[in-house]
Amino acid sequence: MKIVQEFTKGFWKENPTFRLVLGMCPTLAVTTEAINGIGMGLATTFVLVCSNLLVSILRKFIPDKVRIACYVVIIAGFVIIVELTMQAYFYSLYKSLGLFIPLIVVNCIILGRAEAFASKNPVAESLADCLGMGLGFTVSITVLAIIREIIGNGTVFGIHVLGSSYLPFLLMIVPPGAFITLGFLLGFMNMAQKQGK
Amino acid sequence: MVHYLLLIISAVLVNNILLSRFLGVCPFLGVSRKIDTALGMGMAVVFVMTVSGGLTWAISYYILIPLKIDYLQTIAFILVIAALVQLVEMVIQKTSPVLYQALGIFLPLITTNCAVLGVAILNIQLEYSFLEALIFSLGSSVGFGLALVLFAGIRERIALSPVPKPFQGMAIALITAGLLSMSFFGFMGLVK
Amino acid sequence: MKDILRLVIVLTTICVVAAVSLAFVYDVTKEPIARSLRQEKLAAIKAVLPGYDNQPDKEVQTVMLGKDKRGRELKVDFYVATLNGKWVGTAFTSPAKGFGGELLVMLGVTPDDRLNKAKVLKHQETPGLGAKIEKEFIDQFSGKSLTVRELKVKKDGGDIDAITGATISSRAVCDAVNNGLELYNEHFKPPAKAVVQQE
Repeated sequence: MKIVQEFTKGFWKENPTFRLVLGMCPTLAVTTEAINGIGMGLATTFVLVCSNLLVSILRKFIPDKVRIACYVVIIAGFVIIVELTMQAYFYSLYKSLGLFIPLIVVNCIILGRAEAFASKNPVAESLADCLGMGLGFTVSITVLAIIREIIGNGTVFGIHVLGSSYLPFLLMIVPPGAFITLGFLLGFMNMAQKQGK
Repeated sequence: MVHYLLLIISAVLVNNILLSRFLGVCPFLGVSRKIDTALGMGMAVVFVMTVSGGLTWAISYYILIPLKIDYLQTIAFILVIAALVQLVEMVIQKTSPVLYQALGIFLPLITTNCAVLGVAILNIQLEYSFLEALIFSLGSSVGFGLALVLFAGIRERIALSPVPKPFQGMAIALITAGLLSMSFFGFMGLVK
Repeated sequence: MKDILRLVIVLTTICVVAAVSLAFVYDVTKEPIARSLRQEKLAAIKAVLPGYDNQPDKEVQTVMLGKDKRGRELKVDFYVATLNGKWVGTAFTSPAKGFGGELLVMLGVTPDDRLNKAKVLKHQETPGLGAKIEKEFIDQFSGKSLTVRELKVKKDGGDIDAITGATISSRAVCDAVNNGLELYNEHFKPPAKAVVQQE
């Protein structure tokens, strides 16, 4: 039961994007298109799951004093694996995510989960925790990306959904639009939660 | 000379690292409640980013590329930055307690500031020379500090205004950041 | 002392394991990465040239253009395309400064001194405004003759329709095309065997 809870909390109660407001840089930067949102989300989830699994396994061996350094090496290692794999097999996605792939290293969600959860909990719980967090992150940034893509370009995953007469609202695609969209989403989610109570 | 000047203006205003490249958004939202803390964080970032920009450039061109292991760039850079931050912290603590009090609590936060790593990688990706890399790092970090302090100033006022309840806190902060980012958008095209 | 030893051992082990596994992954992905880079280049060349059957990226004329202000080597690669051994076109890239930063166009020139097609490879122009250079705008250059200098926006006395609200981006593309064509006229040597076959 506890494992299920650890898994589901990432989607709403402790959603990394909307509740904890972590990992904002990729959230804002790559969400101009839905496909980028999914790609970034899954890449982050992969690194998150693998590195935290390892951290959890090694939690008894890693001395306290050098734990952050160890975590960083482990995380950076998996990030490079993702980077090379994407470059080899998903080249166009690699190009559109660009700089933000190596920057997964400093995504606060990953180090945050390693420090706060995986280093203190057994493997199964850690796995559930970071799978939930990672997928919660993926869903959130994909939703954000879909909203921005529809309003800013009239498309979803590159397919026109609003008809050719739709005049794209460009603000959504440019940087300010990212901040504003996320701000409104957060506000509306707060509202929704209030009403739910 | 003009080239370097333009590089600075471009890094500080036109391609502001925070508002148009989205690097370092976490500390931007985290430590921007008060102008004082924003100023401290800004100064710490200027220092660390400039030094790490130069250092990672040297490591990339004198160690990683000659040895053909530049695919290890990410791991090497993050370790260098982490070590540097630790070193700076120790040096400041020993030599200047006053400065340590002002900057100390911000230093550990900088390791996970993606702006620092981002600028280090950009220096290599944009194929800057050493001097250009230094200037770009300096300009970017000043741009970061500028945006941070401006934003903190705005947030101090927002704290006093009647914001609709669901939008209080992070939501209004993000929308404000959007407006700030829009105003920086006006600089686009300034440097051709 | 024992503590420190343990710190060092754990940290070193982790680093070594990380390095070894990364070297392995690098080795496995090296080939596919090189392949996707090449495919990207070939796709760009194909987009601007008429049909060919050789491998233009293997038949390159590289011209060194000296050094730029920053002391870096400047060069241009001309990719020569042939069909049944006959020269059918040459593709090359040309950069320019746009509104948002560097932009890069790929140009395809046919032996009759016409610009077959141009394609924007890289740009940082404003989405929805300057970014329109990727679409209809760039098609205006198709079929233009190299000898007539008409490749300017109408405002500057040429016959290219600038994008409304993005004159700087439009001008930048014209610059890239013109500079590129100038380089072509000046430096590109038509392949010898093609000349023979044309006679």
